[in-house]
Amino acid sequence: MSADAARIDRSRAAKPNGWWGMAVFVATEATLFGTLVGTYFYLEFTNPQWPPPGIPDPKVLAPLLLTAALVATSVPVQVAYSAARRDRVRLAQLALVVALVVQAVYLALQLHLFLDDLDTFSPNASAYASIYFTLVGAHHFHVVVGMLLEAWLVVRLVTGLTRYRLVGLQATAFYWHFVNVLAVVVLLTQISPAL
Amino acid sequence: MAVDVLTPGAEQRIERLHRVWRPRPGVLGWLTTVDHKRIGLLYFFTTLAFFGAGGIEALLMRTQLAGPDLNVVGPETYDQLMTMHGVTMIFFFIIPMTTGAFGNYLVPLMIGARDMAFPRLNALSYWIFLGSGIFIYVGLFMHRAPNCGWFCYTPLNRRAFDPGPNVDFYALGLIFNSIASTATALNFIVTIFKLRAPGMSLNRMPLFIFAMLAVSLSLIFALPSLTADLVYLELQRKGGFHFFDVAHGGDAFLWQHLFWLFGHPEVYIIVLPAFGIATSIIPTFSKRRMIAFPLVALAELLVAFIGFGVWAHHMFATGLPTITLVAFAAASMMVVIPSTIQVFAWTFTVVLGRPEFRAPLLFIGGFIVFFVLGGLSGIMFAAIPFDQATTDTYFVVAHFHFIIFGAAVFPILGGMYYWFPKVTGRLYHERAAQISFWLTFFGTALTFFPMHIVGLLGMTRRVYTYKPHLGWDAYNLSETIGSFILAAGLLLIFANLVWSRFRGAPSGPDPFRGGTLEWATSSPPPEYNFAVIPKVTSPYPNWDPADREDDARRLQAGTLVLEEGHETPAVTVRDGYLDEVLRMPAESPWPVVVGLGVALIFTMLLLSHFVLASVAAGLTLFALAGWHLQEPELE
Amino acid sequence: MSGDRVTRAPRRRGALLLASIVPLFAAGCGKQDVLDPHSHPERKISTLCWVMMTGAWIGFALVVVLLFLGWARRNRDSLPFGGGERAATALVIALGVAVPILVLSSLFVWSDIFVIRATDAPARGSTRLTVRVVGHQWWWEIKYPGTAAVTANELHIPVGTRVRVEGTTADVIHSLWVPELNRKVDLVPGREAVLLLDADRAGTYPGQCAEFCGLQHAHMELSVIAQPRPQFRAWLAKESKPARGSMPGAFAEETCSSCHEIRGTDARGQVGPDLTHFGSRTTLGAGVLPNDPENLREWIRDPQHPKPGNRMPALPLSDADVRALASYLEGLK
Repeated sequence: MSADAARIDRSRAAKPNGWWGMAVFVATEATLFGTLVGTYFYLEFTNPQWPPPGIPDPKVLAPLLLTAALVATSVPVQVAYSAARRDRVRLAQLALVVALVVQAVYLALQLHLFLDDLDTFSPNASAYASIYFTLVGAHHFHVVVGMLLEAWLVVRLVTGLTRYRLVGLQATAFYWHFVNVLAVVVLLTQISPAL
Repeated sequence: MAVDVLTPGAEQRIERLHRVWRPRPGVLGWLTTVDHKRIGLLYFFTTLAFFGAGGIEALLMRTQLAGPDLNVVGPETYDQLMTMHGVTMIFFFIIPMTTGAFGNYLVPLMIGARDMAFPRLNALSYWIFLGSGIFIYVGLFMHRAPNCGWFCYTPLNRRAFDPGPNVDFYALGLIFNSIASTATALNFIVTIFKLRAPGMSLNRMPLFIFAMLAVSLSLIFALPSLTADLVYLELQRKGGFHFFDVAHGGDAFLWQHLFWLFGHPEVYIIVLPAFGIATSIIPTFSKRRMIAFPLVALAELLVAFIGFGVWAHHMFATGLPTITLVAFAAASMMVVIPSTIQVFAWTFTVVLGRPEFRAPLLFIGGFIVFFVLGGLSGIMFAAIPFDQATTDTYFVVAHFHFIIFGAAVFPILGGMYYWFPKVTGRLYHERAAQISFWLTFFGTALTFFPMHIVGLLGMTRRVYTYKPHLGWDAYNLSETIGSFILAAGLLLIFANLVWSRFRGAPSGPDPFRGGTLEWATSSPPPEYNFAVIPKVTSPYPNWDPADREDDARRLQAGTLVLEEGHETPAVTVRDGYLDEVLRMPAESPWPVVVGLGVALIFTMLLLSHFVLASVAAGLTLFALAGWHLQEPELE
Repeated sequence: MSGDRVTRAPRRRGALLLASIVPLFAAGCGKQDVLDPHSHPERKISTLCWVMMTGAWIGFALVVVLLFLGWARRNRDSLPFGGGERAATALVIALGVAVPILVLSSLFVWSDIFVIRATDAPARGSTRLTVRVVGHQWWWEIKYPGTAAVTANELHIPVGTRVRVEGTTADVIHSLWVPELNRKVDLVPGREAVLLLDADRAGTYPGQCAEFCGLQHAHMELSVIAQPRPQFRAWLAKESKPARGSMPGAFAEETCSSCHEIRGTDARGQVGPDLTHFGSRTTLGAGVLPNDPENLREWIRDPQHPKPGNRMPALPLSDADVRALASYLEGLK
């Protein structure tokens, strides 16, 4: 069955439906984040000082390093798909687990920074804080969703590979590449006042 | 392909298809259906109910405005009625009717497929749509319906000025609803790209499909703007965030920009499927192909695309810098061109053909008349000083009702008559249908035309009453009378359809000699749509008799009959070459369960029970897991 | 001689005030007719409208004629002057692309480059008078910078004079619109709207709020009263003066003064309209009722009845108190 799934995947000329579905979903999410980023800069242009007085400039180094680590997880995620395509199911699972571990550490540290920021400046006090926490929070939420997708696949691959799971893996890999590009965009927006 | 005599081989294959595709019986069958035709019918009847609700809201408004200083309803009730009328008609009638009902039913049939790309997602779209409609209407039944106008500007939408749950019903209800529309749009895009019958390259797609593709792309790129705006609104109202208030660095125009970034593409979303219906009816009843087919297809896509660049023309009176206004006026004039191309292509197709003015074509005639009328008043708004004088008056109300009612609803009504035989297997009553057209046409004209005049006489929008000395009385009374005539026309249409459903003459598979594939199968279509996947070599496959005979041969031979399970072919995107055979899911309980979960999430958010909302989210995730445990190829 | 001059001046002022009322009645109540312009910008808008409507009717007629031809020639499959699909396609391009481009470009240049100059905000310093308007739910606050004059719902301007109106809002978005004098402009929090008012004839020009602003959006009328310059100056001078007359005790006891200001007294509330010269206004409640003693008594007794949802509560007042308050307010001319 696994071998069949892998073979069919390789013999397709067009991308499978699940990939296309993920592509369209990525388009809506990208537009949503475009709106959030656009809001950030729109509010910046309508405010005389950004961040407003009393709010410190955003941290640069920690978010930068963390984002780099996250972006790097595109590699194991892509490896997972390539391995599964060649019917190397255990390797695929291992690659997914590697990605998950790195992403979990990323998320934990990012949440720590997020809560730290919340203690320093509150979204109840300024538009800056409101868009800052909404934008960054939305990004973290997308990371959580991505991790859930990976975890689900790790579990499903235990009973082997099917066409359905392979397309799911391909779609998840696409999702992660998108989230990682998004991470860079969000990071640049988030730290832009300090640049 | 309607074959009169089946060979034994072909009969056996059809018997197997019947067995494989037989639906689960009873109510459970409907609750768990993933069949695009059943989902289309569910959408149809649900949206009709919302149309009725929106219509009653309109009639109540018109009764209150029939004369000056009346007291049929007070200001709070009126404000809820006018807001709910707009919200209902746009989000719970027009879009789900054209995409969810017409689109769902017809797209797979027209492209020669057996279902949509994601049948369970399709079902989920319906349940979420239904849930969101019930959600908002609970607000109306509590007399706490949204009351801020359908575009609910800030600061009026803030808790300080609208403290009750009204605006929360609005914001959460529309976010809830947008999930359904996004899922439907996603489904259409993938289906149109991947599930066409082999041989249907992109340039051989019917114009209806081009219209659905344009609508779907618009929905995908327009909805996120509204979603973000509504999320900001709820974060501001429930979380004390500051996006829109100046005192804390926010901006009142942020709401308007994001709203109209969605709102303008939205009006093309409303009208594009109507274009698709018109371009299906015109060739059939004119008995010839559409003139300038590639131009029309391109125009449909261009309208959607250019429509993203004109949003601030809804803000000409707000005090934005003049250079900004001028830029948006220029863009707004550009978007006229693809529409004028289409108007003349439609009209010349009728002139050049041998038109038979049966009811569907009459409605399209009415559509063209009203679309041109509404379009011309729309062009007038591109003259900025004129817009600045007449925006927010009944002149605008006239403009958009001629477009929405005249140009979007008329094709829907014509389409109901046109595809009625396909869905029911019976013919509608032609004479009554023609009368219903004239009644509806006259009612529409009488309701909305005087609004141009009364707007120029200074009557502003969203007023629950007006004074007698301004000369508006007679026009308002005419509009009210017109609205009841219009209602009568609509009732006659529905009476005709209901009567014909039970007493109409049998229609056969192709009573109007249509050119697209839905007419190549029986009326109503079998669960599997086509016994053999049709061969396609042109955009009007049902007018290619050689290809239809080829279908009969392949049915006998078993080529692309795909009777092993719920199967349909997938093709390459551009050229439509056969790429793989897909396994589709049979009935599934998970869409309705996930729909319930999502409804629970939004209800908890409305009540500000954020912990319970998270619990509901967790339960929904479990349901999604159940969903993905059900893999079609393992069934 | 000096005696004569002393006695003549007040009579002249009285005569001027009386004369100012005549044009009001002569012009009648006025309408909100976009196509009945009484100013230069509105004339430009009106002409623009007529020309566009003519063009629109021509375009509409063309399509109707084509549809009619479709029906009349339904048994023939060629165009009226011969020609088949190719000719039809050429016509689609000509009528659907070429003609619209020509017409729209012309319209764009005329309306959005030339006419817009007349309706745009007047430059600072280019007008002889500036008035400040603040929109409230559901009334208009009007101030004359450089004077002490503050009034509500009636905007007096001198005839034939460019007046710069600067507007903002105290709460939600409103829109200032006097249809026979100019386009509308939205009053947005945190922003200043600017509009030109320049009436060429004396009269009353009604307007109303044109952006949905809540429950009583329908009853937020603004009257622009254009007076000959001497009458306007007299009005402004009178309006700048503090109130005369003794305030009934009920006014302070019943907390009227916590919302309303009457300049020259202890009533300094800023929530509701300034009432210093309330007696000389033609309407009350921003146009919901004509200003006469009986309507005023009805209003004071229960403001929620004619204008449900407005910010003035119904207070328990005795009949005597209502009469005293009403006659005091009517006396504040």
